[in-house]
Amino acid sequence: MIPHFQRGDFYGEVRVDGKDTVENNCASIAYSVGSVFQDPEAQIVSSMVDEEIAFGLENLNIPRTEIAVRIKESLEMAGIPELRHSSTAQLSGGQKQRVAIAAAIALRPKILVLDEPTSELDPKGSMDVFNTLGKLNMEYNVTVVVVEQKIQYLAEFCSRLVVMEKGGIILDGPTRAILANQEKLKEIGVNCPPVTRLVDMLKKEGLYQGEFPINIDEAYLVISKVLSGKRR
Amino acid sequence: MIRIDNLSYQYKNGNKVLKNLNITIKSGEFAAVIGQNGAGKTTLLKHLNGLLKPSQGNITICGLDAAKTKTSVLAKKIGFLFQNPDHQIFCPTVYEEIAFGLKNLGVQHSGIENLVYGAAEKVGIEQYLKTNPFSLSKGQRQRVALASVLAMGTEVLVLDEPTTGQDYSEGIEIMELVKELNVQGKTVIMVTHDMELVAKYAKRVIVLHNGTIIEDGPAEEVLGREESLALSNLQPPQVYLLAKRFHKQGFFKGTYTVEDMFDEIISYLEGEEDASNG
Repeated sequence: MIPHFQRGDFYGEVRVDGKDTVENNCASIAYSVGSVFQDPEAQIVSSMVDEEIAFGLENLNIPRTEIAVRIKESLEMAGIPELRHSSTAQLSGGQKQRVAIAAAIALRPKILVLDEPTSELDPKGSMDVFNTLGKLNMEYNVTVVVVEQKIQYLAEFCSRLVVMEKGGIILDGPTRAILANQEKLKEIGVNCPPVTRLVDMLKKEGLYQGEFPINIDEAYLVISKVLSGKRR
Repeated sequence: MIRIDNLSYQYKNGNKVLKNLNITIKSGEFAAVIGQNGAGKTTLLKHLNGLLKPSQGNITICGLDAAKTKTSVLAKKIGFLFQNPDHQIFCPTVYEEIAFGLKNLGVQHSGIENLVYGAAEKVGIEQYLKTNPFSLSKGQRQRVALASVLAMGTEVLVLDEPTTGQDYSEGIEIMELVKELNVQGKTVIMVTHDMELVAKYAKRVIVLHNGTIIEDGPAEEVLGREESLALSNLQPPQVYLLAKRFHKQGFFKGTYTVEDMFDEIISYLEGEEDASNG
């Protein structure tokens, strides 16, 4: 485990499918867990995108016809169907990240673990990935554990936030409750949604006492309330 | 200081990546170049230190014609921080990495040590000087690359995604350092995806889309141009979008940072002014 990162997770605890990770080797765990590492260059092994996705599936002895279906499906879910026949060496950093995500999705794992999967992506690209993860979680019941910095976008998708520092877990709970710990989060250096930070500043001035907003709609209501306080 | 005239660039396979760009960047500016993945931002930056030469048009940097000047000479004027630090780090220790550029510039041996320590301290990596850079985290390697660039003392600093791969607080520390350098007179050109970063630090914003410039102006104007930004898969900063909802009531016009919005709320609540003066 690396110290100094923040994690968001979507769905309950990560149980590696009932298997103890010390007693079971990687191969057996691979049936349950799909991983996307922080550096896509360290993970991509094939020269072509479709081969990259096929690689993991071949290792699991998935039949060839099924492989073709999953390649198409996973590339669509990752938002890059047009890259199917592309060479992996010519892709941009962001495209490589999406290929790594597609390859993990194609395994149809019960648990998806991602380490900073959007670090190279632009805001829309990041949102597309978060939307895909949200869909996998809600519609396909995939447990998602994702290490991320972009909390301002991710907050809406996660049901639970786990905040780590120096090898230990400092905060762990429902997203909104965790974001309320503004002082602690600031101290650790977590990137909270800007609207949350704004309301925290207003709270410190004694201008607001309610719940922290985590998106623009909620923040609008809070600010409206604060501004209407002038007449008193 | 930097003049780009009718710049076009195409790769050998014929793809025209930059189309007729015209930009003038004055000394001391802090400009952000934004756009979606593949818009041509990095290609544009690579013209600034001579890594790429224009297919058409020309670029003048501090009086030098970038197409005709050696990259080693341009390196004295422009310091370049790549998106992936591993593309520019290669020495076995952090110290040697930072010293390398200085040696190439012909700096006196006796002067190198101070410059290396100075740069390492500024960036907060002095404890790693004897370490192999490749055993450091990506964020730390980015700082090593930044220290190498800072040590050279160039007038212009070009940063390609300076906070990608960093923790939020590490990223802010780097940006505060860059801001301080800009206040001291360095020209800064930054490519980034992070709209919050642009809102907080950039004075001028250039939006690149499919190799052409679709917006170029003061940050407070460009950050509100939602259509152009949407075209580039970008969105105005979160605070701007919140502020916009209050525009009809007369609040927060031209506001796009947390601090500005807070200040305006306070002065409205405390002052005699009504909404339209806020």
